[in-house]
Amino acid sequence: MTDRLNAANRSTKQAEESENRIRRIKAESGKPVIGYLCCFAPPEIISASGALPFRITGRPGEDNSAADAYVEPYGCTYVRNILARAVKGELDFLDGLVISHSCDMVQRLYGIWTYYHPLPYSYMFNVPHQVSPWGQDFFKRELAFFWESLEKFTGGKITAESLKETTAVFNRNRSLVRELYDIRKEAIPPVEGSEILDLLIEGGSLPPEYFTTLLEEKLAVIKKRPRGTVRAPRLMVWGSIMDDPSLLRMIEEAGGRVVADDTCIGFRVWEKDVPVTEDPLDGFTEHYFVNFQCPRTDRGPGTGRFDYLLQRAREYNADGIIGYCISFCDPHKFDYPDLRDYLKAAGLPMLLIDDNYSFEPAGSIKTRLQAFIEMIGAG
Amino acid sequence: MSQSEMSRAKRHLETTRKMKEMLPRFFMRQMERRFSGTEPLAWCMVGVPPELLKAFDLLFEWPENFGTMCASRLVAPHFIEVAEGDGYSQELCSYVTNTMGYCKLTKDSGEPPQESPLPGGMGTPSMLLGSGFICEPRWKWFQSIATRFFDVPVYSSDPLAPPWDIDPHDPRIENHYLTLLREDLAGQIEFLEKHTGKKLDTDLLRETLALSHEALGYWRDTLALRKAVPCPMGSTDYFHSIIPQMYLVGDREAVDFYKEMYDEVKDRVDRGIGIAEEEKYRLIWFGLPPWFNMGIFNYLESLGAVVAYESTYNVGDYFEVDLSDPLEALVRRTWQRAVKMHDYGAETMPELCNPAVFGGFSGSSVLEELVEDYSLSGALMHLTRSCRAVSFGEVHTKNRLAGLGVPSLIFESDMADPRLWSDAQIKTRLHAFLETMDKAAKGGNNND
Repeated sequence: MTDRLNAANRSTKQAEESENRIRRIKAESGKPVIGYLCCFAPPEIISASGALPFRITGRPGEDNSAADAYVEPYGCTYVRNILARAVKGELDFLDGLVISHSCDMVQRLYGIWTYYHPLPYSYMFNVPHQVSPWGQDFFKRELAFFWESLEKFTGGKITAESLKETTAVFNRNRSLVRELYDIRKEAIPPVEGSEILDLLIEGGSLPPEYFTTLLEEKLAVIKKRPRGTVRAPRLMVWGSIMDDPSLLRMIEEAGGRVVADDTCIGFRVWEKDVPVTEDPLDGFTEHYFVNFQCPRTDRGPGTGRFDYLLQRAREYNADGIIGYCISFCDPHKFDYPDLRDYLKAAGLPMLLIDDNYSFEPAGSIKTRLQAFIEMIGAG
Repeated sequence: MSQSEMSRAKRHLETTRKMKEMLPRFFMRQMERRFSGTEPLAWCMVGVPPELLKAFDLLFEWPENFGTMCASRLVAPHFIEVAEGDGYSQELCSYVTNTMGYCKLTKDSGEPPQESPLPGGMGTPSMLLGSGFICEPRWKWFQSIATRFFDVPVYSSDPLAPPWDIDPHDPRIENHYLTLLREDLAGQIEFLEKHTGKKLDTDLLRETLALSHEALGYWRDTLALRKAVPCPMGSTDYFHSIIPQMYLVGDREAVDFYKEMYDEVKDRVDRGIGIAEEEKYRLIWFGLPPWFNMGIFNYLESLGAVVAYESTYNVGDYFEVDLSDPLEALVRRTWQRAVKMHDYGAETMPELCNPAVFGGFSGSSVLEELVEDYSLSGALMHLTRSCRAVSFGEVHTKNRLAGLGVPSLIFESDMADPRLWSDAQIKTRLHAFLETMDKAAKGGNNND
């Protein structure tokens, strides 16, 4: 049951619109839709195969009991939510499924989902945990197998040239998202973090050409907005997947301003272009494996693995960090104590919000946010 | 949880009772070397081949096993609470949080905490050898230890295996994975050579592998003897006798131990000696055991319920491995296990090379075989809150077993954190489950 305080914060409309839209695109184009979770298997290759890539999102706070017949209660609530959606038939527009071995829970979702609800096409993209030279070689070979499997499914031929073309479209979107994020560096940005995340949820799921228009329109509107005069404490959000802006809205209601993030669906996906390389698989390996900042990848001991975060916090002039961890999200929960201490040493306070993928109880979360934001404001 | 609710296990076999003398002798030998202070000490994760450690004559310790010892001595909650105070979530693996608390106390006071089960605790590591063999927390565990507590070098191996719907018999797929396994092992050896200052002695590795192979051969044969009715060996003996596999494999002592165990269990089979007075229920156990309350198995036995097979820590089938090239033998051993589990249909945990973990049985023909071979009438599934790697998929396995007419009980607790144990509640559920099995045997509903 959704907390009354929180119901208004949901972006179900955006997520639903995105799914309605992909249904329409599918009907109009006759192309198969291949859904994917996580960011290791490049959607550029799905596009180049002639299929429509679609990033699957969950519905935080919705009833997950449909998953109970297949998975345990002790497991990532996001994964349970996605499985419940599949079981209820809400994702029946998918013709294919691509899941990367990002974390253990997502990887196991693949097995259970495809066992009980097989799709015409499914692929588990295996990903090493270390960016060693042999890990990178493995990733590149895995890309080639993925390429082959898509050709087999769609019957289309993927070429280096077609990959360059789809990469260019995705990179165009990345560049536009960066432009949007740049605006947030302003002292008083004319856009809220929740508005940006709404856009990324609605458009980022779609095949790239449909997102470009949304981004261009939004940019034009935001650029023209008058600038405000009241400075609010500036915050960066770090943590588990965030496919709903409820937390960001709560931060905003509590008097804070989210100016940057390091989350999936958020900036992690858009921060860099896929390099254009002679062998396109080299560019994908660099982008989706070597450079992709998910804590499931082992980057060795020491706090150097967080340097990019501090750099981002400074670039966006953040006053503090809000950490967000979904229940049983091991990669982020393990990193929290190291990250908290690292940021503290750099003079950046951090507040951790633990959540079961529902943003509830909203009253309690808001109270903690308010106290933290007041503390930063006073500092 | 109260301490009075926890009970230590009663072992049935003379051989496993003798471990109480054998293991302290081993630990004393290790400690003498450790206290000399001149030799490097590696903390290792299960998945790091112990044969490799022996071939480097390296001192080693297993934090996972230390977690089980802390759990059985009921000191784990103290260490875990220290870790929780440091910011580690209660949801995280309790073996890990147990170690983190231990490390923090060691670092803060400059010496291992006095509550440690072993004198000198686990010592202070000079290197960390990890393995992503089973689960994801393993990637973060040693990373954090080296970040927060001990600034020592880390090597984590990455033995991936194919997903359940990829054909490992396709030569291109085989090459894809074997290439990774070989290069990863080479990296591990390069690391060990650098940090021990020794070259790998391949002859010693070959010799160690041969002894290890021999010991594990006896172990597998012993487990197969548990097909007998009545069952000659139970879980208390099973779970305790995995320890020599971690510390002594590759030694003649381990071969002797497992041979003696085989002879003893064979003798019990020949004489029809079981472990329960009246064997009424034959069970399979899924998941990690509650190390703080191993007496629960004896409690079940008192009700006529005998565990004849455990999924966890099961080393799986015997493989012929060519030892002429011992490094290739290590790679092939890992790969063959992965292929074997793949052929059984390990769809929920496809990366696992380790047949020890139950997920490998999910959706596979192995369940049918086990039910028939071990005359199983029910399944107990320990849903460990802090170890989803082992317990995620139990609902699926329960579904599969229901299709075979075998009822299952999933009950919740943890492997090392006794705060999650509710004695009265769990015993009530066990009772109710056994009653359900009675009804099932009489043709009633067989689902819990």
